[in-house]
Amino acid sequence: MSVVRAYRLLLRLYPADYQAFFRAEMEQAFQRAVEARRKEGRRAVLRFLVAEFTGLCIGATAEWISKLTTDCSVRGRCLPDLRMMRPTAVSREVWFAGACLEASQSSQPAEVMEAQARVSMLIERMVRAIAHHDFPGARRYSDEERQARAELRRLQEKYNIDDSGMDRCS
Amino acid sequence: MILLSLAEKPRHGYSLLKDIESLSNGRVQLSTGTLYGALRRLLEDLWIERFEQDDTSREKQAYRLTPVGRKQLHAELERMKQLTRMATARLRTKEA
Repeated sequence: MSVVRAYRLLLRLYPADYQAFFRAEMEQAFQRAVEARRKEGRRAVLRFLVAEFTGLCIGATAEWISKLTTDCSVRGRCLPDLRMMRPTAVSREVWFAGACLEASQSSQPAEVMEAQARVSMLIERMVRAIAHHDFPGARRYSDEERQARAELRRLQEKYNIDDSGMDRCS
Repeated sequence: MILLSLAEKPRHGYSLLKDIESLSNGRVQLSTGTLYGALRRLLEDLWIERFEQDDTSREKQAYRLTPVGRKQLHAELERMKQLTRMATARLRTKEA
């Protein structure tokens, strides 16, 4: 197992919000630091790795304690809950579609409900992809969501359903 | 030391590690876990901010001091100066 892989595994000890925010950067910094230490010899690398892995274990423990003892409004200043944030490219209407779904779906045909659920699911996946810095994935979900949205509109027109419930939420 | 390092110019994670090491003549070698834990706390206190760099370097995310952070750094430097002055004065009194 390469040291970078071991480092990646240890990063999983951190809270999810911390990982989403810092994981990519930490990996990059670690890789560059390893490259630099390799020039100094084997002993320097070994010493560096012991310090790094110990630091990660201590850091992860400290972060969990901090997460459990800090109010989320304070923690949110640096680690915003990305699941709660509306990405700039997503309209309010689409973003709040999931919340409006329950209120509006009770009397709708199964086909429409299914399309609405698909829109919500794609939004959720897109947000998760953004949280994990998977931007190509997020774009793919965004495209799929646009298509699902168009399909939903078509169905709403077919069943003559007024989607003003969603507009009210936007 | 992170604030001091950022006082000169915005830096990314690895650059901070290297700069802190050179600032302390190699005595302080932060691990990435320690560095990013400290960065998280500084971000939470709004002493530093993260931004995306436009250049083509490998690291896109960088950190810079906020006005509050700069003020804190000045206050900390003043505190250290005062401590040094007091220590020097006491040593002189004892030697005299």
